[in-house]
Amino acid sequence: MKTSRRYSSIICVAAIVAITVVFPSRLPAQTAAVKPSGVNGDSARQWSVQVHGIDPGDIELAYSFQVAIYENLLEELNKTKQFKQVFRDGDRKANEVPNLLVLKTTVEKYTPGDETRRAVTTVSGATKLTVRSQLLTREGKIVLERTVNGDVRFFGSNLRATHNLDRNIAKAIKQSRWDVG
Amino acid sequence: MNRLFVRRNQSAACVVGHALIRVWALLFCSSLGVLAQSTAAPVSASAPFSIRATHLLGLENTKSNCNGTLSIQDNALQFQHGSKPGSQVKIASIQAVFLGGESKQVGGVPMKLGKAAAPFGSGRVVSLFAHKKYDIVTLEYVDSNGGLHGAIFQLSKGQGELVTDELVARGVPSSSDEDKPTKQSTAEVRYENK
Repeated sequence: MKTSRRYSSIICVAAIVAITVVFPSRLPAQTAAVKPSGVNGDSARQWSVQVHGIDPGDIELAYSFQVAIYENLLEELNKTKQFKQVFRDGDRKANEVPNLLVLKTTVEKYTPGDETRRAVTTVSGATKLTVRSQLLTREGKIVLERTVNGDVRFFGSNLRATHNLDRNIAKAIKQSRWDVG
Repeated sequence: MNRLFVRRNQSAACVVGHALIRVWALLFCSSLGVLAQSTAAPVSASAPFSIRATHLLGLENTKSNCNGTLSIQDNALQFQHGSKPGSQVKIASIQAVFLGGESKQVGGVPMKLGKAAAPFGSGRVVSLFAHKKYDIVTLEYVDSNGGLHGAIFQLSKGQGELVTDELVARGVPSSSDEDKPTKQSTAEVRYENK
């Protein structure tokens, strides 16, 4: 009898722990889904975006990195299907589109890494990038502003940091809500 | 004595003969060099130029990280992967060419797996020696709608300069020194079309 009681109490405690672990993560997700403010999801698909060239600011960033950030950003934004159309910098077709947002990316921090150092030491040689992404209207009103990081720590070439960065930018835009009005 | 005298005469004739042959060979070689120099300039300006390269990203309808042939012919830059028709960029649309360099690990995924599987972390020692320096050529060009594009190519060390020089020779204007960034963290040189 004593052992069966002990087993049942253990099962009860395990069930309580499981419930407390699972439910708190569910509840905020549910409340986030209900929030009805800003533009996101289907309504964002009415908007098109024009990606401007990367502004290196005061940072001495290699041209290949600037081009890689720009090209990967276009690819990642297309992948998210968040916008109706994704235009390149200088594209004349963007002038004819009624709902257009402009995405400006400014490099804030860059730590050059080394693939060989990463392969030898594992803990050092990471390439890190930090950029400020701004989504603006044609009139210049900032709709969304985020600081996003991207890095490559273990495997891959230095340019892979740009791929990770752009994936994070696209993710940040997708998950954020913005107010255009 | 006579024999000795005759021998001496023969060797003197030989020396003179050898000297003449040497002088003639020298003149012949130098004239060949002059000929080569005089013909090299017009050939490089119009002849097709091709080189093995890896397309890292940017070109439309071309996979990233694929090997192929980068060629410049008839005022167009073309990258061809295998037997497929390559993607072309008109040289007139190229706004800027940048040359940089990067050191990369060689061997790809099989090498990485091998290094990871090596006992007592000996794979790290292999990593110390299994790297190679590459030239990175970056192009900025515009499409027919005015949209800005970028393309990045990886070439063996020393070949990137050949590509940039060739593009400059074909009409992509090279920048003056004042267009170059004052400090270049990755030793990139800029050839910009203003």
